[in-house]
Amino acid sequence: MRATFPHLLHLDVALGILYPTLGIEIVPPPPLTRKTIEIGVKLAPQNACFPLKVTLGNFVESIEKGADTLFMAGGVGPCRFGYYGQIQRLILEDLGYKVQFILLDHPRYGIRSFVQALRTMTGGKISPARIVRATALAWKVLRFTETIEAKRRALRCLVERKDALDRVVEGTLTRLRWVESVTALEEIIRSTEEALRALPLVREEGEVLKVGIVGEVYVAQEKRINFDVERLLGDLGVYVHNSVSTVEYILHTLPFTRSREKEETWRLARPYLQRFVGGEGIDSVGSAIRYAQWGFDGVVHLYPFTCMPEIVAKGILTQVSKDYDLPILHLAIDEHAGEAGLITRVEAFVDVLERRKKTRRKSEVGRAWTYS
Amino acid sequence: MVGIPRGLLFYRFYWLWKTFLEELGVEVRVSPPTNKAIIRRGLTYGVEEICFPVKVFLGHVMAIQDEVDFLFLPRMVSFHRREYTCPKILGLPDLVRNLFGISSERIITGEVNMRDTGIWGWRQGFLEMGRRFTRQEGKIMRALKRAEEAHKRYREKLKTGILPEHLIDRREEVVPKEKKVLLLGHTYLISDSYINMNIVQKIHTLGYGVVTQDMVDEQRVRKYLSLLQKPSFWTISNEIMGTALLYLKERDPRLKGYIHLVSFECGPDSLVGEVIERWIKRESETLPYLRLEIDEHTGEAGLLTRLEAFVDMMEWRDAHLESNLSSSLAP
Repeated sequence: MRATFPHLLHLDVALGILYPTLGIEIVPPPPLTRKTIEIGVKLAPQNACFPLKVTLGNFVESIEKGADTLFMAGGVGPCRFGYYGQIQRLILEDLGYKVQFILLDHPRYGIRSFVQALRTMTGGKISPARIVRATALAWKVLRFTETIEAKRRALRCLVERKDALDRVVEGTLTRLRWVESVTALEEIIRSTEEALRALPLVREEGEVLKVGIVGEVYVAQEKRINFDVERLLGDLGVYVHNSVSTVEYILHTLPFTRSREKEETWRLARPYLQRFVGGEGIDSVGSAIRYAQWGFDGVVHLYPFTCMPEIVAKGILTQVSKDYDLPILHLAIDEHAGEAGLITRVEAFVDVLERRKKTRRKSEVGRAWTYS
Repeated sequence: MVGIPRGLLFYRFYWLWKTFLEELGVEVRVSPPTNKAIIRRGLTYGVEEICFPVKVFLGHVMAIQDEVDFLFLPRMVSFHRREYTCPKILGLPDLVRNLFGISSERIITGEVNMRDTGIWGWRQGFLEMGRRFTRQEGKIMRALKRAEEAHKRYREKLKTGILPEHLIDRREEVVPKEKKVLLLGHTYLISDSYINMNIVQKIHTLGYGVVTQDMVDEQRVRKYLSLLQKPSFWTISNEIMGTALLYLKERDPRLKGYIHLVSFECGPDSLVGEVIERWIKRESETLPYLRLEIDEHTGEAGLLTRLEAFVDMMEWRDAHLESNLSSSLAP
């Protein structure tokens, strides 16, 4: 069995640690490129959402590299993601690929298939202790990849040399692929933090524009799909915070592992959107409100074109934007999105934010003057 | 007075909602059939990327909101166990509230959710809405019971081959035809002859009658749905898939082809259509299949041309097969 799985930012780093430890030979999915997207777009249904197309492209490329077992997560709806696996299986079957599709579905769809999928995923005969240890390590690695990406987007507008920052982050990500124990991971975490602290800063957090990112879990994170909006904003001198996280997404599937932060996000969204509408719809609304409360200057909303939950969120965000006086840039991403157009829109958005900040400062000064 | 916008699940639950409200002593007003002005309003004030039927629905909300005291927008989260409706329907009351600035007091809504709790969740939803009019729970439950009976009668009538639209507006029914096509698609597309450009009538003029998923026995649909490794989690899409599979496996000689009517940005249909298409292609000998996408840019002439070409294909295939048969029978 040679297994593979789809990309989701640095998920391949974590799974690349997990599976070999469990004795499963893996074919790491080839890097996500223009070609991956082209393959996916050609094979997938025309109006399917973008992540389905990209992950399908991933699978085809991995199969060409010799993978014969595909791991994919399922879902219970109402977002289309839960049905991706079924569609992709049909398409790959019709193409004549002889592959085994292992869908890790919610136990709601039959506890037996769930256990079966777990058993195949864990190789069947490994001791539970070892599974727990391997999973814990992979989990910690995944967490750390998110931490370091968060540091990168926060520091980008502050550091003197952006290339030095990238070097530190990329170097760490490469080293993470070879981590074998928790102690080794802790060593990497320590040295990375040291290296990041050593970077000379030229600006302070208080003086830069702050933008938060909300949106769909795949498109808002996968920088190879969203034209690296975070980097673009950072280069324009904007402090970026991303509310979307794979760790949170996984924790969220079980009611007792939901973080307090997530519950808080949902509570914030309630006055506008009273219930979960699938995907990250309610999270997008709640996170945008939280950014407003944190005093952020703007929000970028990233989602796949025609994404159902995010369109609901988009309709509601217009009201949030009015109520909290918070500019929101909606960016729908699909295979037709052009980089040049996107850059122009983001630049214009940052210009607007800068101007707003200036006039606001002026009016504050003015008010202070009239009252004194 | 309570207004019901004519759109989306209206075509499925009209009798249920209407009877429920009337039994509670409320005057009901339904927005007029879709017209150009309604669509234009929906397009202008809706979210630009949302699917066409939701835009039309929003247009209906605008058309009726000033004439009534309350808007009736039940949140139909799920009307089948372990299934959902689509996210846009889940968030519909919130969308209306936020897009048009209508206050929560003017919207009568309640979460009807049978996903986990079955009939209990159904009753809870209607109790929540009924409490806006009366404190007596017994009265609400009685109203719901009457409404359910009316709904059952309505669904039974649909099975005889009448379209919801004809039943609701007491319009002239179409005369049944010998040859039929299976017209798949959400009821709010099939039954709104303004937005689907009178497709049923067009098909009829070309010499064919239609069968829709509302005309088929639900239990049989569910049985055939279990052919799939995993059915989807959208109730109406499941009914569409199940009906397609039913006619794929249980051949009806009068049925000559499949037409799947979808709206351009419909999420569930983009995947479900693919499943149906691939299942049809996998059969060794199948009927022609046509997917028609409808949105605000669809032109009537283009639609008619495609229909005519499709009818030609069905007829050619029919003649071809018959001649094949006769030649094989000949010595």
